[in-house]
Amino acid sequence: MVRLQRSLIGKSKRYGSWLAWIGLLPLFLFAFSFQMIPIITLLRSSLITKQGISFEYYQRAFSHVIIESFINSIKLSGITALLGVILGSIVALAIISSPRKFIRDWLTALSNVTTNFGGAPLAFAFIITLGSTGVITLILKAVGVNLYPEFRIYSISGLAIAYLYFQLPLMILLIAPSLLGLKQEWWEAAINLGANSFQFWLHIGLPILAPALLGSFLLLFANSFGAYATAWTLTGPDVNLVTVQIASLIRGEVQLEPELADALAIISLCIMSLCVGGYIWVSSKARSRYT
Amino acid sequence: MRLSPFFRRIVIILFLAFMIIPVLATLVFSVSIRWDRSILPEGLTLEWWWKVIERNAFRLTLKNSIVVSLATALCLSVLVTPSAYWAHTRLPRSKSIFELIAAFSFGIPGVVLALSLIRFYSNVPIPLINTPNILVAACMVLCFPFMYRPVMNSLESINVRDLKEAAESLGAGWWATLVEIILPNIMPGVLSGCLLVFSTVFAEFTLTNLLVGSRFKTFPLYLVEFTRFDGRQASALAVISFVIAWVSSLLIIWIAGKSGKQVQSVVGGH
Repeated sequence: MVRLQRSLIGKSKRYGSWLAWIGLLPLFLFAFSFQMIPIITLLRSSLITKQGISFEYYQRAFSHVIIESFINSIKLSGITALLGVILGSIVALAIISSPRKFIRDWLTALSNVTTNFGGAPLAFAFIITLGSTGVITLILKAVGVNLYPEFRIYSISGLAIAYLYFQLPLMILLIAPSLLGLKQEWWEAAINLGANSFQFWLHIGLPILAPALLGSFLLLFANSFGAYATAWTLTGPDVNLVTVQIASLIRGEVQLEPELADALAIISLCIMSLCVGGYIWVSSKARSRYT
Repeated sequence: MRLSPFFRRIVIILFLAFMIIPVLATLVFSVSIRWDRSILPEGLTLEWWWKVIERNAFRLTLKNSIVVSLATALCLSVLVTPSAYWAHTRLPRSKSIFELIAAFSFGIPGVVLALSLIRFYSNVPIPLINTPNILVAACMVLCFPFMYRPVMNSLESINVRDLKEAAESLGAGWWATLVEIILPNIMPGVLSGCLLVFSTVFAEFTLTNLLVGSRFKTFPLYLVEFTRFDGRQASALAVISFVIAWVSSLLIIWIAGKSGKQVQSVVGGH
């Protein structure tokens, strides 16, 4: 009797697990209709020309303006990701080594709030702060430092500063758990064996943190590569980025060439997948190493 | 490993200055008569705020933004919560599919998502293109991880199996168990997800601009329009955006504190 019951349960479980996929139908429907199929449409139309399948649109994408937009986007993302990783780690270290709990809690909360900022209001806040008649610009002028005309917030370096506003807090949130994982005993052991703090970081701290730092870099890179709203509000069409190019193709500001936009979209999607895929790979490696 | 106290203080002060000065400057700018020639504002006034609030377009765009944000939060919670519960109890294997969709949502740049939706839906006989509905769908894709992570974390932190067996042995069906037993227990997660989705969609510019544009103007579109011709009124609008982002974030932290959990960080769209 018991055996019969067990086998029945076993059967219903196997049968159930096949049938259970139907329960996820709404989710699949959503993912297919708004993610998969539209993206496949893009891929298809970027590859299919009048002559059949070819890379014609991709070849056409390598015009001077487009190549420049890719270089700008990669430069901007690389610089803000690198600065974000370095500065964010230092701030995160300062936060977690703060002796007062309320400082730690409040700064983490601040990071949580500000990492979701961005877009139009952020860009505008930076115009008010560092624009040609911005608050900080005026204060610096009063003490004899003229930011303008060498520096412009409406340029790619100004954009980098605005991007740091959401890159820094993101880095703090990403790296803080790994920094907390560095055990105080390791530090004490290293110091007792005669190492100084530089040697500790070079031989112990950084090698342990390396996967987390690399993963965070990739995520920060992707975070900035896909950004559009901040760039558009701050600089309009002045700074030539990939996302700005795609958007202007969609709005039909340049001559109407939808397939060119498709090709650009697919290339940037490939760059994004490399970053996000790399992040997932690195972090799964790091996890299997320590658990 | 410890930083020297002096260095630590300098780092924290600089970080705070960088994060707070732009927001504070925007706030002061919005109540200044003029603040582009002198170090201190030339007097304070509420004139720009009144001018902004009086306009019909202000109310309309605010309403549009609230409608889209609420609709996205509602649709996403109705889609994700039962699916996540189903996956958690019947098909733990399928969680990797959720993760894949979430990674995809983060990995598609806003402009590419907008382009792909336009290219596909303008060629099929479904009347979605150029309507607010396509915007809600796109925002659902954008915000999927914000809803999925907190809901799944809540599910994993409670003892679903015992609750489910207790409910089912008392005769509750699948749906009744979810709505009456599980949902109240994972409410903090669902609420956090909804708030995060709300504040993200409220600040959304890229998808709105490219998918519906001036046909359905939302608050961020209105703000960007203003930055081009009236800085002081634009700054009042920016302050409203900041307040909404801050309030929803603080609510999320408060909810997390009440349910005794760490706040989950997720990446937003910029």
